[in-house]
Amino acid sequence: MTTAKRHSNPFVGDGAGHTSPLKAAINYLLVCLLVIALFWVSLAMLGYTFDFSFVSQYRMRIAQGFLLTIEISAASLVASLALGTLVAAGRGSRILPLRYLCDLYVKLIRGTPLIMQIYLFFYIIGTAWGITDRVVAGILILSTFEAAYIAEIIRGSLLSIDETQRDAARAVGLTHAQTVRLVILPQMVARTLPALTGQFASIIKDSSLLSIIAVIEITQTMREISASNFKLFECYFLLGVLYLALTLPVAAIGRHFERRFDYAH
Amino acid sequence: MCHHNLADACDGKRTKEEDMTNSNSRSRTVRRARGHVASTLFVLLALASLVCASALTACAGSSSDSSSSASKSASGSSSKKTLVVAMELAYPPFETKTDSGEPDGVSVQFIKDFGEAYGYDVVIQNTAWDGLIPSLVTGQADCVISSMTITDERAQTVDFSEPYAVAQLAILANANSNISSIDDLNQPGKTVAVKTGSTGDTYATNNLTNATIVRLADESACVTEVSQGKADGFLYDQLTIYREQKSNSGTTKAVYIAFQDPEKWGIAVQKGNTELLGQLNEFIETSKTDGEYDKLTDKYLSEEKAAFDELGFKWFFDLS
Repeated sequence: MTTAKRHSNPFVGDGAGHTSPLKAAINYLLVCLLVIALFWVSLAMLGYTFDFSFVSQYRMRIAQGFLLTIEISAASLVASLALGTLVAAGRGSRILPLRYLCDLYVKLIRGTPLIMQIYLFFYIIGTAWGITDRVVAGILILSTFEAAYIAEIIRGSLLSIDETQRDAARAVGLTHAQTVRLVILPQMVARTLPALTGQFASIIKDSSLLSIIAVIEITQTMREISASNFKLFECYFLLGVLYLALTLPVAAIGRHFERRFDYAH
Repeated sequence: MCHHNLADACDGKRTKEEDMTNSNSRSRTVRRARGHVASTLFVLLALASLVCASALTACAGSSSDSSSSASKSASGSSSKKTLVVAMELAYPPFETKTDSGEPDGVSVQFIKDFGEAYGYDVVIQNTAWDGLIPSLVTGQADCVISSMTITDERAQTVDFSEPYAVAQLAILANANSNISSIDDLNQPGKTVAVKTGSTGDTYATNNLTNATIVRLADESACVTEVSQGKADGFLYDQLTIYREQKSNSGTTKAVYIAFQDPEKWGIAVQKGNTELLGQLNEFIETSKTDGEYDKLTDKYLSEEKAAFDELGFKWFFDLS
């Protein structure tokens, strides 16, 4: 191995687009088979057989839970984008209290686990301010949580745009508004979109924690079903498949954006 | 990585596979094109060793019965066998922890006394409620003693001992609510909090069809729902309701009027584990007469016993 030349290192690829699609597909299939085989072997070692006969019995509840997960995730994406943009702007503000408020917000939210935020928000802030609807409270909590991360994404890409571009824009006679619209924004979109789609996948997964305040999204639905039929593994396996059905397409969209906006880097 | 670990497991194949990997790395240095062949080969080899591993487990499968009971007759030579007991240590005073984090409570003491009597080394495994029955099914635990009511549904998956305690469901209601019986809860617009998978959950699901049922993971969340008025009532056993009502006396009230048959608590074991089940039943039977139950009551439940006597409730260990 030590005599191997660098390009023959199996862990360093040839760069993007070199592998033929057919070869990629075959190798990917091989890896999938490997993962399935590992899981299947583990099950065989336990002597446990999966029994999914309960799925048709509960299909309505599963469908409703799945839909609610999508609704909560979509609503949280919109709300957290709005809040995240405001916070990102606030962190660059000249008004110091506003700047520090946004800074503290990002630090507190990113520095604490979501499960703690859900409990405290729902039972203290939610109760005090009369937010009794669990779904609404769930969307608010999730949006508040994700907005801190989105603010960091937006702030990061804003800072990555070179200051000289503004100078150049001014030099060719663009107004401030024109600079933002024609120079800054297009680059911001290109730089944030791939990361934002990744964050959307996180939102979908994080929404599962809302089950602890009895929001009957897909995780809570599966917990309830497994509590009555004790098919814990089948329920959680199906749960994983359902989440993948959401997150894999989102990831594919993210990759599409990455390719589409490749010029930005 | 995985290929090497697995190769270690199948000792016989090891040298042969090592030779093949060596030749792979040699071929990689020759030409780049071969490098691809080699990496594909690498994956194929990994698959092959997996197949070999599954063949191994097939052999192990036939002896899986002995391995799952290995914990009970650990290695044979040592005099004490290990008894892995799963319980959810979140249910004082039955399953809880001391301030320093040691498992403690009625069930813990009871099963430790059982271990003492039958020569087991008792290992307590703190497991979330949802995971208790699965831990028996997969053989990770030998028995479950976690204030679990014997039900037909559960008995389809695990075997239960004879009852070691009896309990009644009661209602913890919001102090300002007009709940004075179970019928007051079973109304449109009423919200009932239950712990997911508890017998309160089962009762509410089957009987309180007019009310909205909120299923939560923790007892404390259920109590919070009631004391804040988010839920009108919380269904749980009398003793817990008694304790929670005392610690939230300003915001809650207790409704003890019985609305179902007493629930019998049992110790669960893996289906077919008759040896352990027999010992447990024997121990429960002798506990009724030899003062074991009195000892547990004195140690953990003296105050509650006095209150129950005053209220005229049947005591937990009164199995007659």
